[in-house]
Order: sequence, then structure tokens, then C-alpha cells
Amino acid sequence: MLQKKICMLGGFAVGKTSLVRRFVQSIFSETYLTTVGVKIDKKSVELPGKTVDLILWDLAGEDDIGSFRVSYVRGATGLVLVVDGTRAATLAVALTLRERVEAEFGAMPFILLINKSDLADRWAISDSEIDELRQRGWQIYLTSALTGEHVDDAFHQLASMVTK
Amino acid sequence: MTSTVDPFNLPKRTASNDTEIDREALARLLIEIARNVDPDYRAQFEAVPTADPRMETLRQLLVGREISELSRVTQLLGEPEQLAAAVGDVLPNAAALAPHAQLGEALAPAVERAVQRSIQRSPRTLTDILYPVFLPAIRKSIGEKIDQTFQSLNETLRHIFTWHGLKWRLEAWRTGASFSAVVLKHSLVYRVEHAFLIHRTSGLLIAHVTADNATSEDPQLISSMLSAIQDFVKDSFNEKEQGGLDTIRFGELRLWSEVGPFATLVSVIRGNPPEELHEIVRDVLLRIHEQSSQALEQFDGDGSQLASVEAQLQTCVELKQDESHEGFPWLVAAVALLLLSLAGGWYFLSWQSAQRWQAYLSRWQAYVSRVEAQPGIIVAEQQVRDGQFYIAGLRDPLAVDPQSLLSGTEVDPAQVHSQWQFYQSLEPEFVLKRLTASLAPPESVRLSIVNDRIVAGGEAPDTWINRARTAAQQLSAGGPIFDISGVRDVSPEARAAERWQAYVSRLETQPGIIVAEQKIRDGQFYIAGLRDPLGADPQSLLSGTEVDPARVHSQWQFYQSLEPEFVLKRLKASLYPPDTVRLSIVDDRIVAEGEAPDTWIDRARAAARQLSAGGPEFDISKVHDVSPEARAAEHWQYYVSRLEAQPGIIVAQQTARGGQFYISGLRDPLAADPQALLSGTEVDPARVHSQWQFYQSLDPKFVVKRLTASLNPPKTVQLSIIQGRIVAEGEAPAGWISRAQAAAEQLSADGVVLDVSQLSELNLAELNYLREAIQASNIFFPSGKVVPGPEQAPVLDRLAGQIKEFAENARKSGVTARFMLTGHSDATGRETANASISTARAEAVRALLNKRGVAPELLLVRGAGTFEPLVPENSQAGSSTNRRVSITVNLD
Repeated sequence: MLQKKICMLGGFAVGKTSLVRRFVQSIFSETYLTTVGVKIDKKSVELPGKTVDLILWDLAGEDDIGSFRVSYVRGATGLVLVVDGTRAATLAVALTLRERVEAEFGAMPFILLINKSDLADRWAISDSEIDELRQRGWQIYLTSALTGEHVDDAFHQLASMVTK
Repeated sequence: MTSTVDPFNLPKRTASNDTEIDREALARLLIEIARNVDPDYRAQFEAVPTADPRMETLRQLLVGREISELSRVTQLLGEPEQLAAAVGDVLPNAAALAPHAQLGEALAPAVERAVQRSIQRSPRTLTDILYPVFLPAIRKSIGEKIDQTFQSLNETLRHIFTWHGLKWRLEAWRTGASFSAVVLKHSLVYRVEHAFLIHRTSGLLIAHVTADNATSEDPQLISSMLSAIQDFVKDSFNEKEQGGLDTIRFGELRLWSEVGPFATLVSVIRGNPPEELHEIVRDVLLRIHEQSSQALEQFDGDGSQLASVEAQLQTCVELKQDESHEGFPWLVAAVALLLLSLAGGWYFLSWQSAQRWQAYLSRWQAYVSRVEAQPGIIVAEQQVRDGQFYIAGLRDPLAVDPQSLLSGTEVDPAQVHSQWQFYQSLEPEFVLKRLTASLAPPESVRLSIVNDRIVAGGEAPDTWINRARTAAQQLSAGGPIFDISGVRDVSPEARAAERWQAYVSRLETQPGIIVAEQKIRDGQFYIAGLRDPLGADPQSLLSGTEVDPARVHSQWQFYQSLEPEFVLKRLKASLYPPDTVRLSIVDDRIVAEGEAPDTWIDRARAAARQLSAGGPEFDISKVHDVSPEARAAEHWQYYVSRLEAQPGIIVAQQTARGGQFYISGLRDPLAADPQALLSGTEVDPARVHSQWQFYQSLDPKFVVKRLTASLNPPKTVQLSIIQGRIVAEGEAPAGWISRAQAAAEQLSADGVVLDVSQLSELNLAELNYLREAIQASNIFFPSGKVVPGPEQAPVLDRLAGQIKEFAENARKSGVTARFMLTGHSDATGRETANASISTARAEAVRALLNKRGVAPELLLVRGAGTFEPLVPENSQAGSSTNRRVSITVNLD
């Protein structure tokens, strides 16, 4: 049994919870997010020769970075940063959250999901911006909770990153 | 006599004084040395003088430095303060370097004494220091103790009357343990259903074991959530303690967590576990840490290293205490029966009296709610104390007397203590009562309450209505609305007279109306006076005054008012001043200003003279004489100045002569047409004689226009004027850029700057692919024929499409594409014939392409004869390949 603690970070209403809803095992209701501030789900990923259980800590999204409970990230081996592609500001929020986590616990592997790719007409993040981040070696996926596009790929990528 | 000295004893002999040396010993030593140097030389020891100054010199030479150093150290040791400072400098270092065990032993007695002394002197200081340390410990210990006590008490009570109880008492007596301990041992029913070993930092599950038949959801998720909740509580209440949640309790289920350095052991217990279980679980956790400390510390989600801990956890879930099946508690039953019968008797008696009291109480409550329901009474407080009833609040003097409500309630008035403050209720019925009392409405007025409003209806004299209106205004704040609009004024005649007077005074203030006489007789109104026909109509002024026009009898004589505004009106009507003249009243004088033809000025002057004496003065001195000729000349000048302001027009000469206008000068062909500018100037075009020479203006605006026409810049190029310079920006084909550069050079001779440095060469990469495709095409011909065979039709179709697409795209990029069709022939036959056949073939293809919609002007034709063969001419295939038309694409 190989498990890894993964934290999902992102601003308010970027769609973290709906993004994973169809792809994970869950026993806790979404009210945990508003009460305890975290909801825990599990995603099993099959890698060559092993199965990794990603224990996903879905942290309540806050645009107010100050109220982010950084202690929940303790012991995590990877991050999933989620951004709403129709609100450019959420990218800055996700990057700031990552910086805070990195300052507290050191660098760790992460993937960046730019969500709501199905809303192309309201898209607010330019390709050049995404390309620039990609050039830093970041793993970026354009995802859609609606169509489920690229979500599985992204988790697969993260699983292989944290088990290296 | 000689004596020998033992040199080695010398240093041991101390001098009488610290600072002095033993001179005698030194002298002997020196003699001894001298003796050794030369045995013949002998001297008597006694002969050496004791106080030889050379000795002192020798001493200084030998040990002078040491002496001064020694005296400094001696001084340092002799001064306690200096010594303390020196030792203080090295003390921390010395303590750090000293072996710990020895230092601890050496310091312990001193520290103990110091602490003892500190406590004796001021126990507070040490308490304050230790408070944060021992408070949590005490708190936890007390908590556990209290839990234990309660548990044992509960269990004792439960078992005290059973047969088991008696048996256990015997056991307690026999074994010497306390009874409660024995009870606990036998009675606590619990089972450890799950044990989770959770990694402390990540919350990941290390191991999990379950008792038989126990079920739970995904243990991985549960373990993470448990640690999330721990974090949540810690964060939420800002708890810095290193421990965690000890216990979570939910009905029958308890979660106990024991926190170790690397892992937390959470046991899920159903039932009522004894406190000792904490110890047992703690032991298990301790053993796990001992066994696998390193693996736990390095745990990164891979549980394979820690498989052995499951066996340890298994010992936890085996912990349980089954329910003991106790016998029927006979003793309890007997005692309970006895108690029940006693209690029953007492209860019946007290029930009877309570019933009576309850009945009485409910009557009081009925009274209170009846009082509360009364309008004008507000119950602020009511209570029953020692069998007495107290009630207090506010009442309107007009409300029912609360005391009178008591009758018929069977509540004894003697037991009721009331306290009422008077107040004025704003409930409509009380306001109505008060209004009735204060306003004393006449019998013809009816006051009633409609939807919480007090409505007055009927008839009343206006005096009463006014009083009622005042009362209504005073009521407004917070009270009900008092609506008196339904009361009809019963003195209409009086009212009509008032309205008449208002009308008359209105008339008197009107300019142009003079009221000479007015009166009222038998309900009719009579008025007489003078009015100017231009003044307001007295009849029309009646509207809005509520005076009945049928009852008004007017008699007006017309007169001409000499008030300036009337005179002005009359002048305007009689003189018809032109638009250019403005009449106004200035200080009671009528002033005319502006321009007018002399004919009008004459008429105005006559009118001014005719104005009767006593009327206002009519001043026409400010009206200028404007004859049509003068006007036309003015218009002409305006037109000329407008022309002069036009860019690209230079007026050289202009004159007005004999009612005709002459103008000559230069104009740029791109400038505005001077003829067109005439419109709107009121200059008669028939009287204008112009003579214009064309010239090229160097005004940048015109240069840009000319450049646009001559260079035909592509759409991607922008020409603009920046601070008098013409700047071309954007992308263009290389050919166009070089043309623009040539134009710039020409212009520079005229002093006009055309900046082409911002131009960049157009990227035609997209077109290149198409160009390649077109140039790779060949149309083939049968031997000796100038028309291609039918099999070439698809090639021609495709080629026509590509040429059209290419030409269109090139045009969009601002480039003109031209296609050179080159005809070729094979080497068979005469050269002249081949040359003409090759041209004919090119012409044929041009016609065929034209037929397919390609514009002919884009297609150029030439014949290459046999001079540009595609393949060497040595076979049949070679000949047929060379009979063709090839295409090259040119851009300009």
C-alpha cells in the first residue's frame, strides 16, 4: 500500500470540488469544507508495477489568502493548484497559495489545473501566459469538470511525480 | 675553608621578602660557577660583600620581566572586584567545557539551596515561572481522576444492591482491593473495535486493524480526516499544546487518541472503557515506537516497512469486557417498592393541593390576559409571589379600570396588588375619545374609525374645520391619521366672497389692467375698469380662482397703457423689425439695437416721434444702417477669408467692383473646390468671377493624398502626419518599400520629410506554398498541337483555382501578382516553327485560364521554343515532357 498526501489549493469557486467529484472515492460530504475547512477524498492511480493512493485534501477555497489554513498542508508530498480559466485573478491566488506553502514546508511537486476549459468564450487567461508557465517546466492541464477532460491524465502525472 | 652549595636547593630557599632575592645564595652560586671555570681561582665565601650592587643589576637582568608580570598577577588576585570580573569572563565557557555529570553534581546542592531560599523568600516568583508547565499537567491529571471517580461511583451505585454486589464486596474484603475497583473490573462493558495508527505529520494511515464483525468506512480517509480535525481544533482554539484531541465521544462510541512522537494511535471503543485502558493503549504505542522508531520517522506513505506493527495493534482490538449477566436485583426491588409506596402517598397529598393552586393560578392568568387584551392598558410586569399577585403597567385614563375587571374572575381582590401609571394611548379609539372631548364637533359632524384612521364626515363651519386641521397636524407623530377631508364647509357664501377678493387683487396686480370699482350684491360679483387690449384677459384669469364665471359681471373700457412693455408690444406689431434688430426695455426706455436697412430706420424714427408724451422713450440710435450692397460686400469678405483659411488654396488677388466680385490665385487639385465653398455665404455665385491656377501644395496633408494616389499603399501600411513629418508604418512588399523610398528621396528635395524607416518587409510565407504549387504545374501538349489534350482539363481547373487564390491573397496583402505563362516545344522540326508553336501554346493556356475565371491582365505570355527544355531531348518520353506550358509567379 503506497499512499501520498496531496493538497488541492485554489481560490474561491474555481471548481476544485466539482473537478474531482467524479474521479474519486469519497465518504465525506461537502459540508466538511465549510465546517472543518477540509474534505478528504481518495484517488487510486495505477502506475507501472504499483498502485498509489493519493489522499486528496481538498482545502476550502478562499480568495482571502490570510485565512488559508496552512497547517493542513503539513506532511503533504504534492499539490494540485486549481485555477478558474474565466477569472484571471484566480491564477495569482493559486500562485500565492503555492508560494505560502513552499515558504512553510519547502518545495514539493505540483500540477496546475486551469479549469472550466469548456467556457471558451469567457476564457481570461492567455495562451502566452500559459506557455510562459510551461516553460518553467510546470505541468499544466486545461480541465473541465463538465467534460472531465484531462483530469485523469493530471492525476496520473502527479502520482508519477510524487513517487519518483 | 671552602663550602659547597647545592644549586638544586637554591630555588626552595625562600627569601624573607617576596620581592627580594636571596643574594647570599646567588653569590655562592656565582662563585661556584667561577670556581668551576678556573679551579685555581678560589675565593673565600666570607670575602664576598653581601651588599654588592652588581648583584642587583644581575638580578634585574635575569628575571626583571618575570618580576613585573608576577606583581601584576598578584595584584589581580589581591583585588576581589578585578578577580571577579576576570573569572566572570571565562565562567560560561568553563561551565560548558566541564564534564556534565560532575558539573551537575557540583551545582546541585547550590541550586537546591538557591531554590529553597527563593521559595522561602517569595514563593510567587517560582510559581509564576512554573505555572505554564504544571497547569496543563494538573488539568489533565485532575480530569482523568474525576472521570475515574465518576465511573467508579456509577458502577458502585449500579451494583450495590445486586447479588453480584454482595459477592464483589466479599471479594474486595478478601483481596484487600477497594470495592469500586472490583466493581469496575467486573462491570465495564466495552470493546475496542478499531485501532488506527496514523502518521503524525501527514495524517496518512500506517496501519489499521479491526475487531471481528466491526465495520467502518475507508480507513485511509478516516485517518486523514481525524488528523484534519485535530489540526482544525488546534488552529481554531489556538492550542499550542503538543498533544492532541484526547477523546472524541459520540454516544456509545469513543475515539481515544494517544499521541506519540511520530505516530498517533487512535482506538475506537464501543461501550464504557475503564481508565486503565489508556495505559494499555499507551503501552502499545510505546512498544510500536520502540520497535520501529526509524521506520516511523522516515515513513513516506509506503507501509511495507511497518507491516510488523499490525501485530501490536491487534493486541489493542482484542481488548474487551463482555457484559456480565447479572441476576435480578431483589434488594433493589424491595427497597424500591417501599420507597414507591411512601412517595405515592406523599405525592397524592401534594398533588391535591397543587391542583387547587393550579386552578387558582390559571384564574389569575386568565385575569392578566384579559387585562392585557384591553385597549389602553399595557401590562409591563406581573408575578405571583408568596401567594400574592402583583401587576404593574400603563393605562390610559379613558381605558377600563383594571380593578373592575376583577369581578367575576374569582380572584380575591385583596391578594391583588396593582400599580398603574397613566399614559395617553395612541390607539385610534382613545384618540377618538380625546378628540371628541377636545374638539367638541357639532352634531352635523360624524367621527369614526376606518382602518385605524379617524375619519370625520359631515358638515361644519370653516372655523371648526380649521381647529380640526390643527388637531390633525398635532396628532401626526406616531398617532393615527385624522382625516377631515370628508367634512364639507357649510359657509360657501363666505368662501365665495373670499375667492372673489383674491381674484380682484390678482387683477389689480396685472399690468395693463386698472380696476376702478368692484362689489358683491345678492351673490353676484360686479367689476369695472380699464384694460389694455394687449394685457391679460380678465375673463381668462378667472380660471383656477373657483369663482363662478356665471356670477361675474365685468365692464371693461379699452385704453392704451403707456407701460414700456405694452408700448414695446405695440411697436413690434406696427414696425415689423427685421431679424437683425433686437428691441428691449432698458431702465423703462425701449432700446433698438442691431442692423437694418435705412427704410426701416426711417419708419422707426417716425414711430419714436409719434409716441405720445408721458410714454417711454424709443431709442433707435444703436441701429446701424445696412444697405444691401454693404451687406453683400461683407458677405464677400467673409467668403474670401474662408478661402484664405483653406489648406491648398492661396488667394493672390480679390476685388469688388461694380457689384461684381473678382478673385484669383492658386489651388491644389486635391483642395476644396472654391465654388463649393460659396454655398451658405449668401454671396450670389453669378456675381463671382474666379481665376484659379493649379499648383501642388507641399502641405503634408496634400502630400499624403498624392502619395496615397500615386504609391497605392497596401492596406497594411498606414500613412500619418506626425509633427509635420509624414510617417509610413506597417508591412509592405519589398518592391513597394523601395518605391516608397524613391518617393521619399524626391520629396526631400521639396523639403517634405517622408519617413519610411518604420516600414517592414511583408512576410509572404503563407503565399509561398501556393506559389511553389503553381510554379510546379505544367500543361502538356500532343506532338505538333497548340491545344492541350482533354486529359489536361483537371490540371487547368486546379491551376486556375490556385492562381485565383494566390492573386486574391496577394491583393489582400497589397501586392499585385502576375503569372508568366511560358510555352515550350520539343526539338522536332524547324526552330522558327517551334518558336511560334511555343508562343501559341502559351496563348492557348492563357485563353483556357481566362475561360476558368482568371483575369487576363494577370497573365503574361511568352514563347521559349526549345531553349528551356524540362528534360534532355533524347527519347520519346523526353519530347512529350518538353511539349508544355510552365508558369512563373511574379510579385510587384
